Amino acid sequence: MTLHRLRLAAFALCAFATSVVADITLPEYERVVLDNGVVLLISEKHDVPLVGLQATVRGGAIQDPEALNGLANLLAGLLEKGAGERDAAVFAESVDAVGGRLSASAGLESIRISADFMARDSELLIELLADMLRRPTLDPDEFEKLRDRSINLIKAAKGSNPGDLLPSYGNAFLFEEHAYGNPLSGSEDSLAGITHDDLLAFYENHVGADRLIISVVGDFNAEAMQSRLAAAFGDWRAAAGEVAAVPAAPRQTGRRVLLVDKPGATQTYFWLANIGVAVDYPQRAELNLANTVFGGRFTSMLNTELRVKAGLTYGARSLLARPATPGSVVISTFTETSTTTDAIDMAIDVLQTLHESGIDDETIVSARNYVMGQFPPRLETAAQLAGQLAMLELYGLDMAYVNDYAEALEAANGASITTTIAGVYPTTEDLVLILIGDAEKIREAVSEYGPLTEMPLSETRFRP
Amino acid sequence: MSLFSELRRRNVLKVALLYAVGSLLIVWIVDGAVSGEVAPFWAKEFVLLLLAIGLPVSLIFAWVYEITPEGLKKGVDVDQTQSIVYKTGQKLNAAVAVLAVLGLAALVGEKLLPEFEFVRLEPVEEIPLRPVYDSSESVGVPREITAYTMANGLRIVVWPDHDIPNIVMYNFVRAGGRNEYPGITGLSHFFEHMMFNGTSSLEPGEFDRIMEAAGGANNAYTSNDLTVYQDWFPRSALKTIFELEADRLQNLAIDPDVVESERNVVYSERRLRIDNDNDGRLYEQMLANAFVAHPYQFPVIGWPSDIENWTQEDLESYFRTYYAPNNCTMIFSGAVSPEEIFLLAEQYFAPIPRQTPPPPVRTVEPEQAGERRILIESDAEAPLLHVAFHAGRAADPESRHMELLLNILTGGESSRLHRLLVEEEQLALNVGGLQMEGFDPGLVYFYLTLPPGADIGAVEARFLEELERIALEGVTSAELRKAQNIILADYWRSLSTINGKAAALGNYEVFTGSYENLFSLPEDVGAVTVADLQAVAASVFRRNNMTIGVLRAAGEGT
Repeated sequence: MTLHRLRLAAFALCAFATSVVADITLPEYERVVLDNGVVLLISEKHDVPLVGLQATVRGGAIQDPEALNGLANLLAGLLEKGAGERDAAVFAESVDAVGGRLSASAGLESIRISADFMARDSELLIELLADMLRRPTLDPDEFEKLRDRSINLIKAAKGSNPGDLLPSYGNAFLFEEHAYGNPLSGSEDSLAGITHDDLLAFYENHVGADRLIISVVGDFNAEAMQSRLAAAFGDWRAAAGEVAAVPAAPRQTGRRVLLVDKPGATQTYFWLANIGVAVDYPQRAELNLANTVFGGRFTSMLNTELRVKAGLTYGARSLLARPATPGSVVISTFTETSTTTDAIDMAIDVLQTLHESGIDDETIVSARNYVMGQFPPRLETAAQLAGQLAMLELYGLDMAYVNDYAEALEAANGASITTTIAGVYPTTEDLVLILIGDAEKIREAVSEYGPLTEMPLSETRFRP
Repeated sequence: MSLFSELRRRNVLKVALLYAVGSLLIVWIVDGAVSGEVAPFWAKEFVLLLLAIGLPVSLIFAWVYEITPEGLKKGVDVDQTQSIVYKTGQKLNAAVAVLAVLGLAALVGEKLLPEFEFVRLEPVEEIPLRPVYDSSESVGVPREITAYTMANGLRIVVWPDHDIPNIVMYNFVRAGGRNEYPGITGLSHFFEHMMFNGTSSLEPGEFDRIMEAAGGANNAYTSNDLTVYQDWFPRSALKTIFELEADRLQNLAIDPDVVESERNVVYSERRLRIDNDNDGRLYEQMLANAFVAHPYQFPVIGWPSDIENWTQEDLESYFRTYYAPNNCTMIFSGAVSPEEIFLLAEQYFAPIPRQTPPPPVRTVEPEQAGERRILIESDAEAPLLHVAFHAGRAADPESRHMELLLNILTGGESSRLHRLLVEEEQLALNVGGLQMEGFDPGLVYFYLTLPPGADIGAVEARFLEELERIALEGVTSAELRKAQNIILADYWRSLSTINGKAAALGNYEVFTGSYENLFSLPEDVGAVTVADLQAVAASVFRRNNMTIGVLRAAGEGT
């Protein structure tokens, strides 16, 4: 060992021994509930002349009626296509003319409008937002255009990056008929079945004051901002419908396999998945540490084995979706067609190792430093803070979710992490496999993992 | 009596001096008015002309006339014993002194005092428009930014920002696709991988393990011009980062076994980005055809046969040449002071020796002599149409003009091409535009995704008609103003994070020669005119300067 190496080792030891001290606290903010139920979350931030805003409408894609997947997302898109006195072209012009950014889309459990404007255009921003939510034109021609374009964009994605579609196939096969299996932006089939009347009905039933959270952070006076928002939204009606509760999806037992055939594909994209936990899972710190070590950073177990050591892939990781009721826990990667089963076997082995060996203390300290060290940049901008405040409100969490996080990370230990791993990650026997690849070349080999379902990529839906 | 002493007696010399000092002051004020856009651009020339005419007139006047207690008289009519030319001279001296002090204060004030600035009045537009965000919102080059060039040539720029307890490091290495040739294409990108794969003292993977254990994360990217390494880390990891970065620049191990394994990882990346991605495949062929001489023709990831065959010797010589401190620019932004960085740099980077600079890229792409067309037949439901034109370098002022023009054409839902092709005529699912901004002249590049079954030829014709319309008719002042606002708002967004600050500083430092140019962006963008945009459109959007590429299913009509 050279002197140089000793020096490096000393530094590495220092890093292990001393923990990263990160200042993980949310800025102070005002929470105001208007008489009609609109929740306002307001915080000043004056470092740059910008305003970040998020309007969150409870509901979202899981409220899509049976067979009409993509309806909430179409509505979100249409909110930008004309509102108040402005038609679609003038609306877009109004945003672009001031260098603003504004976009609307549906998530699983909310429709989100995100905006990032120069501070001096705050009034315009509120005017546009109020028009979108309260006075959208919902023009039939714009609706047809958006729907047809959405269908064609799915066709284009199949050629340009099939990996992007893996979550749509993955969730549909994993959750089966459960609402979390609905493709957020619909399928070619479901979109084609949506009518303008469906859209109007969804707007009446699922968009209204009692559903609305507005979080806004940036370079403004909080009091003035509050009175402007109250004036713009204080007299709005409630949504006509109720938010339908979603039952918890059951943990899957045994194995099953979906193979989506892309003839001629030179690589296979795949998920190994099961049902995990919800947003209110109490051992969040333990789970985030475990997932950092398992598949959440470059030196994670999955990436080290599949990429760094074996050279089987460009990247392998594990993902946790944590909505209101249990979401997915997923191992995701891709590999050359001929090494498909090598990569799957190796991923399964790594999962087995996670269960058997747990995580040693040195690695826990490393993961904790990593999580703490990478946290502050996630709450750096006004737009990021607005998004975080909205998330807390949507799921009924409070500031402690952020402010007590460092303490919880400190408290996590080998034993509590082992318990968490056992409770959240599936065993190697209980795995749902979803693959996109050249079926002719891999069909036989992958059918060894469990009962095989096959569908062509050109199919116009994501559920087999 | 000599002419000179008579000139002195009659105060002509003093009047000349007074005139000169006064003129300087007037010119300075008018100059400020012009740059503040209070006065028209020709005001300065006009004032200079007036002053030039006024000089001989006032000198002759001083020679002929004399100030007396009874008023102004011709000198010849004044009784010399009663003459007060001496007193007048003293008054003139005082006036010169006062003006000189004013002038000096103005000169010094440019540096020390708040800038002399007229409030700009917004011109009245025919339709109510938001004003361009004016340059009063920019504060010039922030004083806290400090730059430093080490004895071995390593250039370091530091931007302290203590908003969050984190630091960002970017190392811009001047090695990219343009430094390659057949046989070693993709080598720059391969090094981006090898830089994480072990040194004489660290096993492969230890670099990442040590960095992540200290709370840091990293990444890197390679372009046609640069390989850029990025570290994001908490303040507490600063020393570790220096240790790691210096180690890999000094002691990189190029282990043959690791090289073999890494070839597979790069292949996997190639399959992901090129082979299984229709846009990636078409882009690779577009560059290979648009450039016939310049090395921008090579895919950054490398041709497959080169990925398989480059040799140990290729790797070692490339590393020696391109990873020398004199070929690197490091940027730090975040919770740190320049003094801390410079001390650590002296400790860790000073021992790394300077190398002979890399050979210059000599080849200049010759003028394209006619339209080029390529076709890829692939399993694609949605056809793709890509269109490229040769344009300028990052440092050319025309690139700024093109950036604004591209914004007008494809930036946002209200842009011309999006409105026309996507919304109104529904000929395309989406349309985007970008320009390669590098050391050498690059491309302006448009990419369109078409609906399944589209009449590709008709879309192309409609698209080109719109580009030609710009060259013929220009853009409106409202469109220019919108593009200026979008670019300025994006500028502020990019400066709202320490990562954005480091990236922006580095790109300006490397491509324009000084990070200071970043801070004149608001003024530079504000100064662009509709005529500039029309001129750049006319010079770039020519059919003889165009490469056009189509990817579609076999047998589908064009």
